[in-house]
Amino acid sequence: MGRTLCTGNYAAGHTLAVAGEANRAARGCCGGAYPITPQTEIIEYLRGFNFRKGRIVPVESEHSAMGVCIGASLSGARAFTASSSNGLAYMTENVFAAGYYRLPIVMIAVNRTLGPPWNIWVDQGDSLALRDAAWLQFYCHSHQDLVDTIAIAFRVAEDARVMLPVMVAMDGFVTSHTEMVVELLDQERVDRYLPPCEVPHRVQHSRPATIGNLTWPRETERHRRDIQEAMERVPAVLDEAIGEFESMFGRRADGAIVAEQTEDAETILIASSTMAATLRGVVRARRLRGERIGMIRIKQFRPFPRSELLRAIGGARRVGVLDRNHSPGSGGIFWNEVAATLHSSDILLQDYIAGIGGGDVTPEILDSIIDDLASRTAAVDPLWQEVAV
Amino acid sequence: MIEMTLYGRGGQGGVTLAKLIAMAWFSRGKQAQAFGVYAAERSGAPIQAYVRVDDDEITNHNQIREPDHVIVLDTTLIGEAILAGAKAGGWIILNTPKPPSSFSAFRGRRIAAVDATSIAIRHGLGTRTTPIVNTAMLGAIARTFGFSFDEVRALLEDRGYRGNNIDAAKEAFDSVAAARIDGEPAAAEPARNAAPTTGLLDPGIGRRPAIRTGSWATRRPERRTLTPPCNAVCPAGNDVQAFIAAAAHGDYDRALAVLLETSPFPGVCGRVCPAPCMGSCNRHAFDEGVNVREIERFVADNARWPDPVLPWRRERVAVVGSGPAGMSAAYHLARSGYHVSLFEGSDELGGVLRNGIPGYRLPKEALDREIGFVLMHGVNAYVDSFVSASALEEIEKRYDAVFVATGLQRSRSLPVGPAMQGIAFLDRVHRQDVVLKGQHIVVAGGGNTAIDAARSALRLGASSVRILYRRRRAEMPAIDEEISAALAEGVVLEELALPERIDGDHLNCVRVILGEPDESGRRTPIADPSTRFAVDCDQLILALGQEPDRSIAGNTNVYFGGDFATNEGTVAAAITSGRKAAEHIRARLSALPAGGESAEERVSGNGATIATTIATTGDLHLNLFQHAPRHRGSALPPQDRRHNFLEVHTGLADASLEAQRCFSCGVCNTCDRCRDHCPDGILTRAGNDYRFDYDYCKGCGVCASECPRGVVVMAEI
Repeated sequence: MGRTLCTGNYAAGHTLAVAGEANRAARGCCGGAYPITPQTEIIEYLRGFNFRKGRIVPVESEHSAMGVCIGASLSGARAFTASSSNGLAYMTENVFAAGYYRLPIVMIAVNRTLGPPWNIWVDQGDSLALRDAAWLQFYCHSHQDLVDTIAIAFRVAEDARVMLPVMVAMDGFVTSHTEMVVELLDQERVDRYLPPCEVPHRVQHSRPATIGNLTWPRETERHRRDIQEAMERVPAVLDEAIGEFESMFGRRADGAIVAEQTEDAETILIASSTMAATLRGVVRARRLRGERIGMIRIKQFRPFPRSELLRAIGGARRVGVLDRNHSPGSGGIFWNEVAATLHSSDILLQDYIAGIGGGDVTPEILDSIIDDLASRTAAVDPLWQEVAV
Repeated sequence: MIEMTLYGRGGQGGVTLAKLIAMAWFSRGKQAQAFGVYAAERSGAPIQAYVRVDDDEITNHNQIREPDHVIVLDTTLIGEAILAGAKAGGWIILNTPKPPSSFSAFRGRRIAAVDATSIAIRHGLGTRTTPIVNTAMLGAIARTFGFSFDEVRALLEDRGYRGNNIDAAKEAFDSVAAARIDGEPAAAEPARNAAPTTGLLDPGIGRRPAIRTGSWATRRPERRTLTPPCNAVCPAGNDVQAFIAAAAHGDYDRALAVLLETSPFPGVCGRVCPAPCMGSCNRHAFDEGVNVREIERFVADNARWPDPVLPWRRERVAVVGSGPAGMSAAYHLARSGYHVSLFEGSDELGGVLRNGIPGYRLPKEALDREIGFVLMHGVNAYVDSFVSASALEEIEKRYDAVFVATGLQRSRSLPVGPAMQGIAFLDRVHRQDVVLKGQHIVVAGGGNTAIDAARSALRLGASSVRILYRRRRAEMPAIDEEISAALAEGVVLEELALPERIDGDHLNCVRVILGEPDESGRRTPIADPSTRFAVDCDQLILALGQEPDRSIAGNTNVYFGGDFATNEGTVAAAITSGRKAAEHIRARLSALPAGGESAEERVSGNGATIATTIATTGDLHLNLFQHAPRHRGSALPPQDRRHNFLEVHTGLADASLEAQRCFSCGVCNTCDRCRDHCPDGILTRAGNDYRFDYDYCKGCGVCASECPRGVVVMAEI
């Protein structure tokens, strides 16, 4: 395809479309479509795409949009959709259903603050509220990361060892509406990269079945443990998918985490999405000044990459987590996971909540956070970094 | 890394321009990033957009606080604020008709200036009010940064732009001018948002929101007051809209007070005025005009008449003639506190109101009430006091000012043999001095006197009454309803007829053909001698109009008015003449600048000065009104009124319903539709005053489109 300059929404819409189209030799593709700011451009792209074997169904709500995906996936089609914020909240019942049904649906979550108060800007609280819905979750920091991750998401979701839905998240506006240089995926290579979608428990005339009917507790427990085991198989499947992606497209896609200059780092910052992108410049500048500092971008939030993270943190003495999200009564949601990962270590772990409600996190703000972390002798409760917009 | 900040308004294409700029560098193999700050998703809202360009991968995703270059798409945004954080040495690229050297406030900066708005309008991009300037700006920016126009063209064509967009870019590319402003660049601090925040549970829920949505507006609602057509045409100068508005609320006392500001004769005008207000009423374009005359009459007959206001002044003023002009002058002068002496040649006050209008139209009781009201203001009236030219000289010596309104004393005549003048006839009718039993009566003329004479003759027992008029009915000056009433009662109308000669018991007449229009626009009647005819005629009454007797004249202390001076021929015009004379006299006696308190500065019911623009149906939203037939009021049936002088019209049972039909054209009547429909709740009302909170008004225009009467209008900012 060559490099192009386009918005994150355009890049995501295009990648979903070519992935859907790639299943035309099998059972086609289908998705439910319901627009919401800032995801609308994705839905527009999908509705405007001329699928040879597939259909994007306009519906009256996000709940139904996911309902269409569930039906499509349960009948064996490659299924996908996109939503944001309160749309995701409204969709929630069916988001859980998709996960517990073990359906390899891919959904783009364009992160936007949940209201009220009404707010259209980026905040990860909408998709993180769905972290327990048995979906894989990836948080992308750039257009290229987004494109590559969506393609890989179909590969991993539809892998028989996983067979779980995947949510690919990007920052509302900061990614969705920003034009950046990106290499889009061409149909021909996506056709070869994605095998035909095969949903093993799809409904068939020749094999009548009810899916998801009443069970005893021990059967439900079995279902949940199956999901957990599928999640545990994700790292291996993801590795394979990334490897094959590289051989197909000639580009190494990012894995569950991306560690930069952590080997000898005393101080490590952990962030996700575009806040991690902006952080890269700050960390590099400090390295150039001789500071022993590194950073880790957590891309894969579910399953949470504990072992990769522990390895990357290594012997660091201070770790600061940047959270553009907030679990009231606790703190940053990434911080919670990192704390659980580091429970047996004596690393100083401090949470910084920044950019809530779309606040513009500048390099200067990140610098001040790093300065704060360096000055701490002990961790305190999560700190709020008030950001002007 | 190059960083740029763009300032524009929603609708100008600023975010797209940022993308085009990024595209230009991307085409040269650079990494690029372009984004807007979203929220104000409305035309006209100030927006910012940002562009980053670099050789390496761009990782920063924050907004640009310290741009290398600044681009301003909207002329109104050019100001200190655009320098916030701007680094020295960069370009400031402005959409402006001014030369770059004129921006002396931007010391030490390199300025590029292009008139992108004019270019966009010239090339038909956007609308004249919201031109889309982005492609023109791109041309100027590309030139400034050393791109060739071929690169611009390729870029635009690649994005699907054709024709006028490329032409606009080319014109801007060729016309952008650059200059460096002398001096050292001022340190420009990056903008910081230090506004305090508030929580949902803070006290004072409903406080003003943090986002000032008023900045999104490109237009805003404003209130205006137009002159309703009824007010504009009222010969008496009445505030018709205001008195009807009060009547619509059933506040007849207030309605009467409004009327008494301009005239002491609401009961008279409510009966005999030809009511041009009703003819001009905008409601005619909807269903039927408002029955103003009947509302005025109802108010005069049913409201509580106020106690007279009695200020005191030293000067004495004489008024000669007690017709409507003289009475009006006496009333207004007395209300101002002057000592007024009123001289009337006849033995009764009222002039033409008394002896020229029959009682079935204007009952004595109604007239006496209003004359009595004038006298209650301390006017000394002298009847049987004919003022000759020499007497006027005496009066002038004894009074500080004199007003003469003796009306039209001379009647026009025709040499047709023995005939009675209409005015004299009506005076005799008034004095019950005529008996016409069994007689054939012919009245010549087409004005109200002719109709009054004809209908009076009928009531006095005439066996036939015939009106000869030299033109057609449509051209008769008489009130149309009066003509209809006369015909209903049995009066015969002979159109296109002239009396020639009385011959015993009949009148020889001649038919008329209509020739070329005269200066009044009416066609000139020309007698056709070949079409003679005769009608039975025991008595001919001539009602051909009157003229003033100008044998009296005075010096500068004497003011002349009423029909004597103006010959306008209506009671209402005479009332205004008297009021204006009173104003002039008051201005002179109190040494006010003439016209300083002119009655022409009319004031609407809610206190706002009325503009001179007359409200037309085009100013109104007729779709917001409901159809409702005019309330006509009741009248005696024709058979019950032929033989008596009982008042024919008995008026409305309740004027408020008819008053509620009034559109209140161009004048706010506090209907609250604007406030009730404001989707943002930024419109509030205190008493009769409405306030727009422009900090939050987005300029949606719902209030204006919901104002039925054209008071709220949208204005460009």
